[in-house]
Amino acid sequence: MRFALAVLLATSASAQGTLFVGTWPHTIHVVDEAKQKVIDKIDLSTGTPLDMTLSEDRKTLYIETLENAGFEVIDVATHKVTNSLTLNEGSKKYRFSAWAPDPEGKLIYTLYRTVEKKSDRFEVDRNTKFGVIDLAQKKIVRTGDVPKDEEQVGFGFGGGMRFSPDGKFLYVFRNSVYIFDTTDFKMVDKIDLSKPQFPGMASLGMGRVLDSIQEPGMLISVFNSQDPVVHRSIFGIARFDLNKRTFEFTPVGPSATGMTGLQVTPDRKRGYTVAFNGQGGTRRCEFWEFDLANNKLIRKQEFDGRARFSFGISSTGKEFYIFGAGYTVEVYDAASMQLRNTIDLSADITSGMVVVPATR
Amino acid sequence: MKHLRAVNQKARRIEDYLAANDDVVGLQAPAGQRPHVPMGCSLVFSPGWEVDSAGGTAGLCQPVERDLYDCYITCFWPAQVPDHLNNYPDWTAKCAAATKDWRNIDLVFP
Repeated sequence: MRFALAVLLATSASAQGTLFVGTWPHTIHVVDEAKQKVIDKIDLSTGTPLDMTLSEDRKTLYIETLENAGFEVIDVATHKVTNSLTLNEGSKKYRFSAWAPDPEGKLIYTLYRTVEKKSDRFEVDRNTKFGVIDLAQKKIVRTGDVPKDEEQVGFGFGGGMRFSPDGKFLYVFRNSVYIFDTTDFKMVDKIDLSKPQFPGMASLGMGRVLDSIQEPGMLISVFNSQDPVVHRSIFGIARFDLNKRTFEFTPVGPSATGMTGLQVTPDRKRGYTVAFNGQGGTRRCEFWEFDLANNKLIRKQEFDGRARFSFGISSTGKEFYIFGAGYTVEVYDAASMQLRNTIDLSADITSGMVVVPATR
Repeated sequence: MKHLRAVNQKARRIEDYLAANDDVVGLQAPAGQRPHVPMGCSLVFSPGWEVDSAGGTAGLCQPVERDLYDCYITCFWPAQVPDHLNNYPDWTAKCAAATKDWRNIDLVFP
């Protein structure tokens, strides 16, 4: 009986996944979710990790680094860097506003502008361009123009980029959803979120829509909107089908001062976010739990939030992570919404967190 | 709001007004008075001497070292901290967690 229990506990522990967190100065910390300990550190040769994304098959991690407009590719199973590149050339530097690896993992699609240092000035490119980086050749092999009618400076900045499952279309999310053909960067469709099909909503804005453990081909996020009469802000839940290009909006209630992105449990039945009310010293933070089947807010719990932080969810959906700025990851129990323990990384967090579920 | 319908005279007048005009400007929330900090979040080139978006310090990370490196990372503004990009790339080589190890940060004399 004791042996059976030990086996059961071991199985339960190994069912958890792995966290990858980018830290100062140029490291990826690998944390075992079951042990809640740092089990490996991956050194990056190109600079400070700034942003990370996981491939659809969850086998490869792509990391953007800061100093030299670099990218590094990490094999999730072995924790080894399998590829790295930098794009800056002498006085010419690249700034990315968004990027995403293609479904085959051979290319990285970016939106970028260049900054060139001249003898007496910096020349900043006024136009944002698409750039396709070939990971084998380690350079931009194809470029494309952003549609001239769209805002050029900062196009795509603060939004997200996602491919259709077949890789034929590239979605750029901002206040509108732009859909481009990946072969020639021609815009094939634009869904204006300020004029949604849902009557009465205006000034619609999606939150950060990307998440690593959501349903393939489907994005779920929170959105904020104002009604056109008294301009009262409301928030709700949005679903975007990457295959059908359809949006589904469900308003839920009055907006908080701010919200983090929606984190969804692996069974997709529950969603969680952190809502803020107030500012500065009067700011209060709450975990909000949603029943995604009925699109209802079912629970709130206040907690001691940091001045600035990010919010994540474990691979099992049973823990929350509050991390950055700083060197610690706070682990909250999702059932009780109470602080359980703290993981000390001993290095300041510089990027988001990628949660890789266990493979078995 | 398709679930809402006007049930009194005032609400019907608002609906009528909206049908004739695009907007009810007077009902918009007034823009809050924001502090003007000419150089972003600080008036001086020294970490810690900064203000939050409301002009106070309550919204800043505590201790200030907690987000010291963010002056460089997300603000793209290395003026608050040594020039990590060109002249002093190793100024934090011995300090990964600034809150813990700030004594190991190199002194820089530009």
